[in-house]
Amino acid sequence: MRHFWKTSTIAAALVAALGATPAFADNIVLWVNGPLASAPDAPIYAELKAFEAETGHTVELQAVPHMEMERNLFVALSGGAGPDVMALDIAWVAGLADAGLLADVTEQSDPIADEYQPGPLSAGRFKQRQYAMPLYTNNVALYVNNKMLAEAGIDAPPKTWDEFEAAAIAMTDKNAGTFGLTFGGSRVGAFQLYPFIWQSGAEIIADDGAVGVGSPEAIEAVKFVSDLYTEHQAMPASVLTANSWDEVNAPFIQERAGMLISGDWAIGALNNGNPDLDYSIVPLPEGAQAATVIGGYNLAINANSDVSEASWELVEWLTGPRSIELMAQYQRLSAQAAAATDEAIAKLPEDLQPFMTQASAGRARPVVAQWSQIHSDVFGSVWDSALRGQPIDEVMAQAATQIEQILGQ
Amino acid sequence: MSGNTITTPPSDTAVTVPPLRRSWTPKWLRIGFLYLGLWVAFIWCVFPFYWMIATSLRAKDELFARPPSLVPHSFTFQSYVDLLVGAEFWRYALNSLILTASVTVISVAISVTAGYAMARHRFKGSVALPLFMLYGQMFPPVLLLIPFYIQLRWLGWLDSLYGLIPVYLSYMLPLCVWLMRGFFSQVPHSLEDAARLDGCTRWQAFWRVILPMARPGIVAVATWVMIHTWNEFLYASTFILSDKNRTLPLGLSGLIGQYTTDWGMLMAGGVLTSAPILLVFFFLQKHLVSGVGGGAVKG
Amino acid sequence: MTARAPTNQKLRRTWSSVFETGAGARIYPYLMVLPAVIIVVGVVVYPLVSGITSAFHDVTLRTLNSGDMPFVGLRNFERVFADPSFGIASFNTLVWVVLNVVAQLSLGLGLALLLHRAMPGIGFFRSGILVPWVVPSVVAVLTWRWMYDPSVGIVNELLVRWGVINDYHPWLGDTATSLYAVTVESIWKGTPFVMLLLLAALQLVPRSIMEAASMDGASGWRKLWHVILPQIRVSFAIAAVLTFILTVNNFNAIWLMTEGGPLNSSEILFTLAYKYGFQRYDLGMASAVATMLFVGLVIATTLYLKLIQAKEGE
Repeated sequence: MRHFWKTSTIAAALVAALGATPAFADNIVLWVNGPLASAPDAPIYAELKAFEAETGHTVELQAVPHMEMERNLFVALSGGAGPDVMALDIAWVAGLADAGLLADVTEQSDPIADEYQPGPLSAGRFKQRQYAMPLYTNNVALYVNNKMLAEAGIDAPPKTWDEFEAAAIAMTDKNAGTFGLTFGGSRVGAFQLYPFIWQSGAEIIADDGAVGVGSPEAIEAVKFVSDLYTEHQAMPASVLTANSWDEVNAPFIQERAGMLISGDWAIGALNNGNPDLDYSIVPLPEGAQAATVIGGYNLAINANSDVSEASWELVEWLTGPRSIELMAQYQRLSAQAAAATDEAIAKLPEDLQPFMTQASAGRARPVVAQWSQIHSDVFGSVWDSALRGQPIDEVMAQAATQIEQILGQ
Repeated sequence: MSGNTITTPPSDTAVTVPPLRRSWTPKWLRIGFLYLGLWVAFIWCVFPFYWMIATSLRAKDELFARPPSLVPHSFTFQSYVDLLVGAEFWRYALNSLILTASVTVISVAISVTAGYAMARHRFKGSVALPLFMLYGQMFPPVLLLIPFYIQLRWLGWLDSLYGLIPVYLSYMLPLCVWLMRGFFSQVPHSLEDAARLDGCTRWQAFWRVILPMARPGIVAVATWVMIHTWNEFLYASTFILSDKNRTLPLGLSGLIGQYTTDWGMLMAGGVLTSAPILLVFFFLQKHLVSGVGGGAVKG
Repeated sequence: MTARAPTNQKLRRTWSSVFETGAGARIYPYLMVLPAVIIVVGVVVYPLVSGITSAFHDVTLRTLNSGDMPFVGLRNFERVFADPSFGIASFNTLVWVVLNVVAQLSLGLGLALLLHRAMPGIGFFRSGILVPWVVPSVVAVLTWRWMYDPSVGIVNELLVRWGVINDYHPWLGDTATSLYAVTVESIWKGTPFVMLLLLAALQLVPRSIMEAASMDGASGWRKLWHVILPQIRVSFAIAAVLTFILTVNNFNAIWLMTEGGPLNSSEILFTLAYKYGFQRYDLGMASAVATMLFVGLVIATTLYLKLIQAKEGE
């Protein structure tokens, strides 16, 4: 009898133990960009607790400031270490995947691929393999100062290129020191320029690798935007130096510029900078077609991770259906397909709705390994040269050659 | 020599004649120019710091006001409150303090002895050695990140404050040794010889005579190490991963966002980070006056 | 400041008396230098060697991961020379270094001369003038960038108020002014260090020498040139070398203000190396640039110090 009790106690203890900790409890090291874990009560901590409770794994969260994220990842991964799961700006995926540093998750992700919005998902796809899943997404829209627009005698925000140009010129008044549009320089300007290139019908780098930068449509698009500064003086001189979003925002906050092309991240900055600012957010004006550029962060798994299965569970958890709720707490947009339905959009804060509405027109920047270099070196220079009055067709032809060289074509 | 005290170097005792000034400008005018120069330099150096303080105190909606006003219209201490109330700031400050104190003490101790030996003694390599040590500083540090990382990882010292100490020392020491060597070479040989004649051992002569003489140099070196360790960013940001080991500069860079920066917080953080060092220096700076020329500066 | 000589013979028999004569006296300088050498050599040698050898290998993100980094001879250097940015960056580096070193040394010396005597309130001025050096570099650079801003910059506002310029100017966005605007920040930041070094050195100049010079009627420049400078020449030479090295390797100022732009107008070799390494992930090319910088610095400082030593006649 005593023997029986003893055995059953052990068995009960065993069962209890198994119930509490599943057979494969792993520790996952996760790097996220700073803003997601800016305070001890940031929503991500609760979300990770829920994940730990559900799966029995433990997650070690390390927040890395955006400014150092790319360099730190590069150093750590090159040094043979690094986190198991990492949050990546979607523009970095190709470079790391090409170097073989990211785990191929195509097998796991294919069955659930249709749960995600196609644009953001494609940003994690390199050479037909999936390496990263979208954590949150964003895109750029048009911010319009209602008061300045009305004073310029225009009653609705521009919907086409012609209206856009007309509005920009109408809001420019040399004597009053006002301008139609504030814009970035170098890399930031290039980022704002991409939607216009796509809207013209041109490709930057097509899926088959063809470089479309030298095409007449692309030239027209760059000329269209840069003319607003060189020809019409409809941009303030800050365009020459604005290499951060705060610098781009400044003239709009000061009501010296009537329009701004930016993502949802500008909302907080504008409201802080000038609480009295009366503005609306509308989809970008359309050229030959509608297009906007997608940004945001992805989650990817280190190819050398010892806990790749648990890591995938974490990626699936954080980017899955629960991300709609999680990202709402950050005032950010989930990349789940379910987040883009009409009902889901209606539930969003009003400011965010225009971004989700135009999400279907969102395009990922070319997912090529050398994108960082093409973006900074080539397009940064293209835009800076255009602003300084160099002939656009020559600049673009040269850029096309450069890109082809960089891609090794 | 008296055998009890060594107050002034032998070479310095002869001159007691009051200085004869041939300059025709009246004294008050020269003093006036001196203070004018000091104020110009002061404003030039401090203005950006003032601008940081002003920015940290401005309300958020005044940050983008045009034209910018020299004196904030509205004051708010919100940024300071936000920073100081959270536990993070204090933890980062403590980490910075531990790191700075250890690196400063160790580098000063090591560089004083090494600098002294190099300045005083001719030995094999006494000329080439300091130069070789300095060569290590000439390779752009950012490109040493990966090998450093591999090295620290191999030692298991990643993500730790003590792992940063040797890295910082290797970065600080060549410069410190150089500086100390320069200062020691300015202290007259005769002083040490006199002390040795009095029966001091090498160690005593060094400790009791040379070291006090070189005090301005030591203060300068300590200040250099202190400031650079306190503010070091590149290595710390790469080798420190977890929140509990972060230093103040890492905390500051966390305030710089991808899309927008909280300027009030960042500037308040910058002011709070600079303040302790300025305070320490304010008390240290009087020790810059010492040594051979000690009496002269009071004239 | 005062030192007491030993009062009895016992004190002399400390352990340190081993080093008074014979072999002990010969090795003791080495012992004093040893800790510094061990730390510096122990920590730096591997990274340095690895950094230099990278210049001759194909080191990219991909090859780093696979561990197979083939030797490519001088190909990295050829690729660097073929980049049109390299020429601009080399020229800019020269301008950048000359402006910084000359300005920091002369301003630093001037400040040290202003601050070296004891006057009422001198501690206040000394601490104030040290401020630029104390402010964390990242914050300092961003503050300057904000002060230069063409929309809200106080520099622009003050210059307009004083009638120097008519309208706000994008100092960092104008290819003609970007490098100089950054240089101003870097001079502001670097001068206090030079000041402090020379201030400490000035304190070590014997009073008799200063006074003898005054008695001879040597005033102003002559006194500075013939009396004071020779006294602090060692520290001045060291300050020159250190300023040189720190300027060439000053990264934050340019990177956080202009990233070398617009259109390479403020690109120096260091920022170029950084772009190769951390934007292109091509550490081979980055190390090639770094190695050239390294060799240049080594040659320049060695020559300079030899020159100084020849003058000293040591």
